[in-house]
Amino acid sequence: MLSHISAAEIDRVTKLASRRFSFKDGAGVVTGCWMASEEMEALIGRVAMRDQKAFAALYKSTSPKLYGVCLRIVGNRTDAEEVLQEVFVKIWQRAEQFAASEGPAMPWLTAIARNRSIDFIRARKPVADEIDAAYDLADTEPDPEEQAIVKGEGRRIDRCMEELEADRGRAVRSAYVEGLSYQELADQHSVPLNTMRTWLRRSLIRLRECMER
Amino acid sequence: MSTPDQSKGGRSRDEVLAGEYVLGVLSLEDRQKVERRMRSDRQFAAIVSRWEQNLSEFNEEYERVTPAASVYPKIEKRIFGDAAVGAHLWNSIAVWRSVAFGSLFLAAGVLVFAITNEAVLRPAPGKQLSASLAGQNSAINLLANYDVASGRLKVTPVAAGKPDEKSLELWLIRGSDPAEALGILPQTGEGEISLPPELHGKLTEGAIIAVSVEPFGGSPTGKPTGDVVASGTIRLP
Repeated sequence: MLSHISAAEIDRVTKLASRRFSFKDGAGVVTGCWMASEEMEALIGRVAMRDQKAFAALYKSTSPKLYGVCLRIVGNRTDAEEVLQEVFVKIWQRAEQFAASEGPAMPWLTAIARNRSIDFIRARKPVADEIDAAYDLADTEPDPEEQAIVKGEGRRIDRCMEELEADRGRAVRSAYVEGLSYQELADQHSVPLNTMRTWLRRSLIRLRECMER
Repeated sequence: MSTPDQSKGGRSRDEVLAGEYVLGVLSLEDRQKVERRMRSDRQFAAIVSRWEQNLSEFNEEYERVTPAASVYPKIEKRIFGDAAVGAHLWNSIAVWRSVAFGSLFLAAGVLVFAITNEAVLRPAPGKQLSASLAGQNSAINLLANYDVASGRLKVTPVAAGKPDEKSLELWLIRGSDPAEALGILPQTGEGEISLPPELHGKLTEGAIIAVSVEPFGGSPTGKPTGDVVASGTIRLP
């Protein structure tokens, strides 16, 4: 459904799509295998318009990377292929949300693949809940100052990662890349569970402070 | 949980929680809690989204691995349904015609919603709105059922031609505004389309619902490109 995309938006995406792509015999076959970010975004725009050929082209160009994500996190081909199916069903369903928003395509696609993969392994092997009284999930009205803070972005994360102790930096990275739980990270680093929690939470705060400097 | 100095603490808690979500260390239940909050709290969703952008630099570590060739057909089947089943139903014209004649709603060209007193269609929860959509000399008649509670618009095609060459796309037309796509009717022969909440109020008296024949998969331009085979004005009885 395109209902919440304005007509102007549809025009914009359509023009972008037709300008960025060359089609073979009007068959809608995208030529060339290299795809710039802008082209990928235009392709998702076409998927948002329920263009099945664009969807096939998107699958062709992005499935190796997204399958790599699933495989790394899920750990075996059979399950990773199952998760990859869910990932592309989600991409089909959410394409219009992406088309209506700003931002590059590949991080959005990768986030879907990571989220589906992590949901899968957490369902397969449950871990302890972390959200309790320590976290207030109630909505709080943000003040204007806070609104402003979310926007600003100073530096790249790799420079801030260098400021972390080496083992904590590795823990942050392997949590993200491999989808490890606190317990798995604690085992891997041979530290108590609570220590690992403190490591990661403090690292997140330090990263955020560093990025905002 | 509100205390005078909570603002600062609440914010860094949100930063940590959003970061933990994006890292992926949370339990499934906690992930779902975070996702629910993202839907209701835009500020929090922005914090999550910023972590996603920041940490996406780590995505370089994922190797490209080609999945088995059998995966894509499975995805297609999950999204677009089983073409064979679709063709069978589409071609059962006799069945669909009997459905059409069996219905009480063959008001040609007019979409009648079964409510009485509001310009905006907002009847009691659970109420079903029914309509028939038909065009002059049309090969296709449609029966539409709109379930207000679930926001699902169910459309049943009454007859159709060759199924593999085209899709039926449903449009909402309000005044002189461009047509807004409501969705593609699945090839299985029965269409059920969930309307997003922001669209519920747009199904108002005088608006037109139309169905066009589009290339398989839907209009490539986002606007109707094929023949409009059925249309109806929403009218209060």
